[in-house]
Amino acid sequence: MSVLDKLRLDGKVAVVTGAGRGLGRAMALALAEAGCDIVAAARTRSQIDETAGLVRDGGRRCLVVPTDITDPASVAAMVESAIAEFGRIDILLNNAGGATEGMGKPVEEITDREWHTGIDTNLSGTFYCCRAAIPHMLRQGGGKIINVTSGFGLRGGRDNFMYTSSKAGLINFTRSLAMTYAERNIQANLIAPGLFPHDNPAMVEWWRGGKFVPMGRLGRDEELGPLCVFLASDLSSYMNGDILALEGGGLAGGHAPTGFAPVVPLEADARRGEA
Amino acid sequence: MVLDQFSLRGKTALVIGAAGAVGRAAVVALAEAGADVAVATTTRAAREEVAANSCANEVWALDRKGFAASIDAASEADVQSLVERVAAELGRLDVLVNAHDLPFAKPVQEVSPDEWRRVLDVNLTGVFLACRAAAAPMLSQGSGRIINIVSLLVERGMVNGSALCAAQAGVMNLTRALALEWARSGITVNAVGAGWTEGMGILADEDSRRKLDRYLPGKRLARPEEIAGIVVYMASDAAEYLTGQVVWIEGGALSHV
Repeated sequence: MSVLDKLRLDGKVAVVTGAGRGLGRAMALALAEAGCDIVAAARTRSQIDETAGLVRDGGRRCLVVPTDITDPASVAAMVESAIAEFGRIDILLNNAGGATEGMGKPVEEITDREWHTGIDTNLSGTFYCCRAAIPHMLRQGGGKIINVTSGFGLRGGRDNFMYTSSKAGLINFTRSLAMTYAERNIQANLIAPGLFPHDNPAMVEWWRGGKFVPMGRLGRDEELGPLCVFLASDLSSYMNGDILALEGGGLAGGHAPTGFAPVVPLEADARRGEA
Repeated sequence: MVLDQFSLRGKTALVIGAAGAVGRAAVVALAEAGADVAVATTTRAAREEVAANSCANEVWALDRKGFAASIDAASEADVQSLVERVAAELGRLDVLVNAHDLPFAKPVQEVSPDEWRRVLDVNLTGVFLACRAAAAPMLSQGSGRIINIVSLLVERGMVNGSALCAAQAGVMNLTRALALEWARSGITVNAVGAGWTEGMGILADEDSRRKLDRYLPGKRLARPEEIAGIVVYMASDAAEYLTGQVVWIEGGALSHV
C-alpha cells in the first residue's frame, strides 16, 4: 500500500466534539473528506446542523448530537447514540473547550465557579468523552484519540490560569492514555494549534494579524485538516502520547521578540576563524 | 480535497543518511508520494554505498527520478557538490531530509577526543553543513522544507551515549534556531523524533532489542515505514504552518517515567 493510501479513512466513524464551528468544523470536514462518517457533537444545535449539512454534501453520513461535554450524562448519551447509529467509534477528536469565564484575572480574583468551569470544559470534558468511548474502541480492537491542547499547555500566560492548567493537564492525561492502552492498539495524541482567528476580524485585530508570530501570520482553520487526518490514520500508527503543534514557530522561540538577533562584536581571532 | 495536499508530485527531495533504516524508509515514502529523490550516504563506507544504490533503485522502480551519491556528510566540499548536483540533475531542491546516522556508544572515559569529534562532525556538523548548503536554492525559490531526523537521545540521556546525546540535542536546537531564522523566508525546519526503530544502527545486538521490546508501552519497536509517514506530511504543502517543532514517533516511550 502506498504511503498516501494509508491516509484514507473509508468506513471509519469519528466523534468530533465542538464540531459546530472553527477548528472543530474544519477538522470534521477534513475527516469526512478522507472517508469518515461523522458524529458531530456540540452545545449549539444550529451550528452542528450546518456542519452536518457540509459533511453530507460531501457524501458522508453525519449524526448530530447536541452535547454538553461538562455533563457526564450528556456525554454518555452522545456516545450511546453514536453506537446506535454507526455501531462503532474509530476516532475520538476531543476538540470542545475554551471557556473564557475568569480569563484575564489574577489568581486572587478568580471565583470557585470560574475555576471549575475552566477545568471542567477543557479537562474533565475530555475525560468524560474518553471514558465513554474507550470501551467501544477496546471491543473493536483499537482506535485513535486526538486531544486538543495549546501552546498554553506548554508555557504559562499572564492572568491565564484555568486554560493553562487544564491544557497542561490534557498533555499528561494523554501520556497516561498512551501508557495504558498502547498494547491494546489505541493511540492517543495531541494537537496544539497556535493562534487561529477563525476568519473573525476582531480576533485578527486582537492578535495584530500575527505580526509577532515568527512566521508572520495567523493560522488558517483548514490547515488543521490534514494534520488531523494524519493523526486519525494508519500513517501515525507508532505515534502515541505525543504533540503535534501547528503554530508558525512560536514555541521554537518565545524567550525574545520575534526577529530579535543580537549582534555580538567578535574578537579578532574569531573573525579570522582561528578561535 | 484534503488528501491531495499530501501529494509531493513535482517536488524534489534530498535524503542524507539513506543507508540507514529510517533514511531508507523516508526515501521510499517521499517517492511514493510523488517526489523525485536523490539519496546520499552518511559516510563513504562501502556498505553504505551499496545500501544507497539499492535505495535509489527503489526510487527508479517507483518511476521517479533520482540518484545515489557516496559522500562523507562531515565534508563541506562533499555536501556542497551534492546539493549542486541535485539542483543540476533534478532541477530544484524542495525537501532536505537529514537522517545522518553514525552510531557510536562507549563509556565516556574511553571516548578519545578524536572519536568525540568524529561523532559530532558527522551527526551535528553534517546537519549544519547540509542546511547551509540547501539554504541557497531554497532561499532563492522562497520555499523549502528541512526535516531533521533525531532520536530519543534529544530528550533523554543514555549510558555510553554521551557523544550521540550531545550531537542529537544539538541537532534539535539547531532545528529551532534555523526555524526562527528562516520563518519569513518560506523555509520550514522541523525534526522527526524517531523512537527505537527496527534496523537502527545503535540496536545491532539482539539482546538490547529484546530488553527494549519489553520496556516500550506497546511492547514493540517501530517499523521504519512508521517513522516515514510524518516526513511526507512535513514535506507537503499541508504543513506550511509547521516550523521549529519536533514530532515524536516513539510509541509512547517519552510518556514513560
